[in-house]
Amino acid sequence: MAEKELLKGNYAIAEAAVRAGCECYFGYPITPQTEIGEYLSQRMYDLGRGYVCAESELAAINMVLGAASTGAKAMTSSSSCAVALMQEALSYACSDEVPVVLVNVMRAGPGLGYIYPAQGDYTQAVYGGGNGDYKMIVLAPSTVQECIDLTYKAFYLSQKYRNPTMVLADGLLGQMMEPAVFSKYPYPEIDNSNWALTGAKGREGRKICSVAPSEEKQIEHINNLFKKYELIAENETEWEEIGTEDADIVLVAFGSMTRNIKAAAKVLRGQGLKVGMFRPITLSPFPSGRLNELSNHVKKFVVVEMNMGQMVNDVKLAVNGKTDVELINRSVGQWLSVEEIVDGVNKFIPAGVN
Amino acid sequence: MEKNYIIAGFGGQGVLFAGKVLANAFMYSGKNVTWYPCYGAEMRGGTVNCEIVVSDEEVSSVHKQDVDCVIALNQLSFDRFITKIKKGGRIICNSSLIEEVRPRNDIEYIFYPMTEKATESGNHKLANMVSLGVLSDIETSLDKNIFERAVDTVLPEERKHLASVNINAWSAGHCNTLLAC
Repeated sequence: MAEKELLKGNYAIAEAAVRAGCECYFGYPITPQTEIGEYLSQRMYDLGRGYVCAESELAAINMVLGAASTGAKAMTSSSSCAVALMQEALSYACSDEVPVVLVNVMRAGPGLGYIYPAQGDYTQAVYGGGNGDYKMIVLAPSTVQECIDLTYKAFYLSQKYRNPTMVLADGLLGQMMEPAVFSKYPYPEIDNSNWALTGAKGREGRKICSVAPSEEKQIEHINNLFKKYELIAENETEWEEIGTEDADIVLVAFGSMTRNIKAAAKVLRGQGLKVGMFRPITLSPFPSGRLNELSNHVKKFVVVEMNMGQMVNDVKLAVNGKTDVELINRSVGQWLSVEEIVDGVNKFIPAGVN
Repeated sequence: MEKNYIIAGFGGQGVLFAGKVLANAFMYSGKNVTWYPCYGAEMRGGTVNCEIVVSDEEVSSVHKQDVDCVIALNQLSFDRFITKIKKGGRIICNSSLIEEVRPRNDIEYIFYPMTEKATESGNHKLANMVSLGVLSDIETSLDKNIFERAVDTVLPEERKHLASVNINAWSAGHCNTLLAC
């Protein structure tokens, strides 16, 4: 196995994209993910692959849509307020079933917000900011190693299901360095010769189009999309849990906040409380089934996130009233510390218990 | 056991470079480590800092609210971070650019003329590496071999010839007579 090296999250994502076989990158710079485009501008040139610094984010995502329509592995990367600009194209890409890969390294919002890290795009990523009924696949790394592994996975899943796939990181992960290793791209290549627009010479012409002029066809199209989403949920839902078997309280977080709840759960165990941790790795599909199972014995879920409370709603839906769901949060800025989480959890425990 | 360090100074003093060297050194000594910079509108002449967290286990919070040890390369950094140090923590100061005052009595101070020592060692720009020498003298068991490896990793190809002058500067901080200095 290759030796670990100290890698910045943004560079890890960029090099993982190269190793996953990304053939073209289109992007527009924005802090805190500019290093992805910076790195690829040289690397893609050296490899003779496609790189365009687009005139805007709108152009970049539509270039990805065009390139991916031809069967090429194509991606863009951006951050919060600029990902907002891409939402229309993502709705199209979902309806067109084009395997777009998009990396969102979240910063603070709403509006222009600022460049420091936040987790305020959960809802935008999971529910979508475009029109109509659609779902992206959304993967949330918590370490630099996972920036690599989940970028690999994003390319694979997007191709396998012909569905736009997002890696939802945050400024903290993008900017930090941590030891990590590039394993070999572990997934098989997906044959796309039955749908890609590669020129109609010698075969029937094809078109990729989201217009459905008849009501019946539109209903059938959406039903097919949602059958696919069910299949994705069945096959690809992924999560991590520690110490949940006997837990009374389970801390839930996503992305880099996972690190803090893992440490907080250990501290709370040390105080004699039965505390576990749970984190969705796929935010969409969301591991609702497992959370619902856990709510049979867990007395309280405490969701910890850097926004005004977004994923907490999905946890509530998952447990469907069977158990309490609480929130510890901050809107943006300094990540909630292990001590703040521990204090927050202790406040939820009625006096005299334990 | 988790411990965090902040290195802070002017943009151009090699703050991020020193942080990367230190983080690599910890990695080579078998620890788990993260490096996190302040980022954004920083520029040469402005202030810059980075935070390194070291742990025997998985690193938890990458960017903490308080700090075990600060390396301050200029006065602004001293003023900014002095209040963030944990009780019983430590600040290592470049006394070439920082006034020797002790506003708190619950932390340990080390003043060392890093810019002067760097100049004596061959390059006045390398106060950053002198500071790592001081740090490894008193804080950790990181040795010269590990730093040689770390410097080699962090220096880009076109700067590899500067490895030895960096290590000289490190040695200028790594004097076992420090406590008498």
